[in-house]
Amino acid sequence: MNNLLSMAWKEMRHDFRDVKTLVFLLAFPILLMLILGFALTNAFSSNATIKDVKVLVHNTSSGQLSKAYAAFAEEAGKTGIVFEDVKTGMDGREEVEQNRYTDYLEISDGGIHLYGSSRSTIESNIVQGMMNSFADRYNAAAAVAKQDPAKVATLLAAAGPEGYIQDSSIDAERQPGAIDYYAIAMTVMIGLWGAMSGGSLIRYEIVRGTAARLAAAPVRKSDIFIGKVLGSVVLNMLCVLVIVMFSKYVFKAYWGDHLLPVFLVLLTEVVMSISLGLAISYMMKGEPSGGVVMIIVQLASFLGGAYFPLGNDIGGFLGSVAGLSPIRWANQALTGIIYNHSMSSAWTAMMLNTGLAVLFIAVAAVMMQRKEGI
Amino acid sequence: MMNVLELRGLTKKFGDFFAVDNMSLQVREGEIFGFLGSNGAGKSTTINMVSSLLRPSGGEIRILDRDIAKHSRFAKMNLGIVPQDLAIYEDMTAFENVSFFAGLYGLRGSELKERVEEALEFVGLSDKAKSFPKNFSGGMKRRLNIACAIAHKPKLIIMDEPTVGIDPQSRNYILTSVRKLNETGCTIIYTSHYMEEVEEICSRIAIVDHGKIIAEGTKEQLKATITDVKDIRIGLKTLDGLEPALLQSIPGIRVLSVQQDEHAVRIQSDAAVDNLSKILKQLIDGGMEIRSVAEQAPTLETVFLTLTGRNLRD
Ligand SMILES: Nc1ncnc2c1ncn2[C@@H]1O[C@H](COP(=O)(O)OP(=O)(O)OP(=O)(O)O)[C@@H](O)[C@H]1O
Ligand SMILES: [Mg+2]
Repeated sequence: MNNLLSMAWKEMRHDFRDVKTLVFLLAFPILLMLILGFALTNAFSSNATIKDVKVLVHNTSSGQLSKAYAAFAEEAGKTGIVFEDVKTGMDGREEVEQNRYTDYLEISDGGIHLYGSSRSTIESNIVQGMMNSFADRYNAAAAVAKQDPAKVATLLAAAGPEGYIQDSSIDAERQPGAIDYYAIAMTVMIGLWGAMSGGSLIRYEIVRGTAARLAAAPVRKSDIFIGKVLGSVVLNMLCVLVIVMFSKYVFKAYWGDHLLPVFLVLLTEVVMSISLGLAISYMMKGEPSGGVVMIIVQLASFLGGAYFPLGNDIGGFLGSVAGLSPIRWANQALTGIIYNHSMSSAWTAMMLNTGLAVLFIAVAAVMMQRKEGI
Repeated sequence: MMNVLELRGLTKKFGDFFAVDNMSLQVREGEIFGFLGSNGAGKSTTINMVSSLLRPSGGEIRILDRDIAKHSRFAKMNLGIVPQDLAIYEDMTAFENVSFFAGLYGLRGSELKERVEEALEFVGLSDKAKSFPKNFSGGMKRRLNIACAIAHKPKLIIMDEPTVGIDPQSRNYILTSVRKLNETGCTIIYTSHYMEEVEEICSRIAIVDHGKIIAEGTKEQLKATITDVKDIRIGLKTLDGLEPALLQSIPGIRVLSVQQDEHAVRIQSDAAVDNLSKILKQLIDGGMEIRSVAEQAPTLETVFLTLTGRNLRD
């Protein structure tokens, strides 16, 4: 344990003393935020407002669900979201694909399905959040109905006229402006830069020759390994923290009222990124892995919308590749939390990140055990 | 007496290439053991296996009579390693470097601080404790490299070319500290390209070639093995008119070198062939004026040359 901590501490010391890298790590995203955020303000203000959110609905449900939905649609409609019934001959998903609707909602007695547009992420997240809270409430009601049908009405009514809307907390005034978008996008991008730290953790010791000393010292390999990852996670999270705070207080970017889940998503992203870099560096067997990691990071940044929102210009294939970018998951997760108080994409992102981190660390650990030296 | 290090049939293959080939060796307590060999002989590969940086392809390594594969922690606690390539962090002060590595051996608090100061003092870097190695001279870096290996007071210290590429002053400092370390009870394995260093400080020497030990013993023992070669030095008034090719053709001559600044010719020749009179006659016939003729005692250089047919530093 002591050795693990001194490895972690040493790792942080290297990072802190590498002033050039540190400055770059902080200045680059802040500068980009400034340039993109303020230069593109106009482009963003013409973007979707809540009034442009149109949901196409195909409702085949009956009974309780149908009634509940009707009540919900009426309340939700007051926010400016338009719910339109599907007409014969319309293909709901195609309509969303074509960007004529933000979402396509299928309601049947089997359940609720929402097909969101991958292009208008923020709007789609809003609808998704509302549907989630609707579903939650309906499920609760349905569970109660089995026990005591009399109480259902009370429960649904308890939501009040603004119930759903409050839950999803749409602030009609609050539109993500360019700076808000880039504050999130850049922070998420810096999180992924953890892959570069991760990729150089082991190589750092090999290049300096200190791998020879570490191998000769009575330290478990796993302590070296975990200690270095830990130090790197702490440092990368500190950078992320600084960038969030800087954008929040200096650029007045909107980060919502729930910073804890925001940081949790970012933490899992950082851990996943560092593990990714580490696994790649082990797979490259001591060859410089920086190039490969760099390409992955840049591709993921581009596809994930770090430099500009990949909204309306990408089609099928690129769109589905974009879905593989950790930056996109994190972007959606943060947008969900910040604008919609919805944790659903946040859970997805955190789970994906954690799962991948475990996988990458396992790969690196197996390779580390097999490898000579460290 | 206890073997501080013992190698039994140690082998390391890189692909099909045997970098270390079935090497067996015993180093006893209190020795300064020299490890001599030309570039690529397999010295560092051997050392890197002893220090767990490389995994042996075969054979056994024992430190203080215990197999390091089974008693890894025990072996590591008793071993200090001075790698051939500098192994220090440039962005940490001299003190922080030694302290970090010594900390890995379980030293803490005031004991750690004392040991670190002691180690820095030992290599003459006390006044540089708070400086960063990036501002150090080559010799100072080498000394720090040594300090990092000794703070935890290991019983065995292995130094892989600790004096490579440094000024004479730092070199003398290092040689003196090696002797001092040895006097405190440390067993030392010392690798070098510099024959004079090895000759000066080592009590026993192994000559390594192509991954094998081809000779082993004290300096005297090694030199005594050279009975089939004689080493003759002939001083001349001037080298003008000297024709080495003619001399070379005299039977029995193995190596002939002309020492320009000393106006001398040095000849290594088969001891069994009586050719001195022919050599002298050849020189006199060529109009050379002979000032002195002497048979040299063999040096480690001669031993190395005879055994491997090569100079140590080509
Ligand atoms: N990782 C490796 N992969 C392949 N071959 C290697 C590797 N390490 C060393 N070798 C080869 O093994 C041989 C022995 O190398 P080693 O470094 O042990 O020599 P050395 O005696 O220390 O030489 P020097 O005096 O130059 O330090 C050399 O031919 C070298 O090229
Ligand atoms: Mg070597």
